[in-house]
Amino acid sequence: MSYSILIVDDSFPMRSVIKKTFRSAGYASAQFLEAADGKQALERMKNDWIDLVVTDYNMPVMNGLDLVKAIQTLDLLKNIPIIVVSTEGNETKIKEFMDAGARGYITKPFTPENIRDLVTDILGEVDYDEDIDDSDEGFDF
Amino acid sequence: MMKTLTTAMKASISEVLETMFFLPIEFGDQKTHTQTKMDKEKANMACQLKFSGDFNGRFLLVTPKDLLIEVAENFLGESRDTLEDEHLVGTLTEMLNMICGNALSKLDSKVPFELDIPEVISESDIPGSQPFIIIKTTQSNMAITVIIE
Repeated sequence: MSYSILIVDDSFPMRSVIKKTFRSAGYASAQFLEAADGKQALERMKNDWIDLVVTDYNMPVMNGLDLVKAIQTLDLLKNIPIIVVSTEGNETKIKEFMDAGARGYITKPFTPENIRDLVTDILGEVDYDEDIDDSDEGFDF
Repeated sequence: MMKTLTTAMKASISEVLETMFFLPIEFGDQKTHTQTKMDKEKANMACQLKFSGDFNGRFLLVTPKDLLIEVAENFLGESRDTLEDEHLVGTLTEMLNMICGNALSKLDSKVPFELDIPEVISESDIPGSQPFIIIKTTQSNMAITVIIE
């Protein structure tokens, strides 16, 4: 099954790295959508089908925590799983995200295995026959 | 305090640079920016990240541009021919962001630290007398410091 994954991060290189990490973790056939902050993410979620949101915390305009809270107030969107990928590893902050409705939290630095383990818990096993990364983008963990 | 923070920073620098940027490193003796002579040798790029919490301050990272290009190639999986300034700035700020967030999360703080958005600064904004941790790579050196305010 091909998933539609929304990556929310104000850093363009970081969005690119997260995409490549997902591909490397087995989600090669996923469709990736991008947003640079929480506000842009909400707009995309209202207009596009999304299976999973992967968001940073620290962003301008609307940060990741406010995004998670905003999604929970919207009946059409609140069941979409959200994973936070952030540099901030403080337990209080992680609990704040989980209490707000996030389904998982990964701290940077991360590996493809960290991503695969968490996403498998949320979306189920990857079909590797379908999702083998045969792209030639030179990214290799 | 500074000793604890420096220890946390060194652990984070190793973890971040080796895991996300595939860059083996060693640490050199601490030097001021003036003593490193980095400003005399090559074109550099620098950025800072302010934080607040149990105490407030800012991290500063300085790296030669040619080393940053190599780091960006590793990080993004792109060849240097395709890299533009946006990629270099993004790599530089993300590197500092990860080091800073990772280091502060290792501290036993009463309240979570809040990080600002990293910003590129001019080399002339780097305090010349501030001691920096020297990060030695096979190609050249980077320098990082934290200033408590």
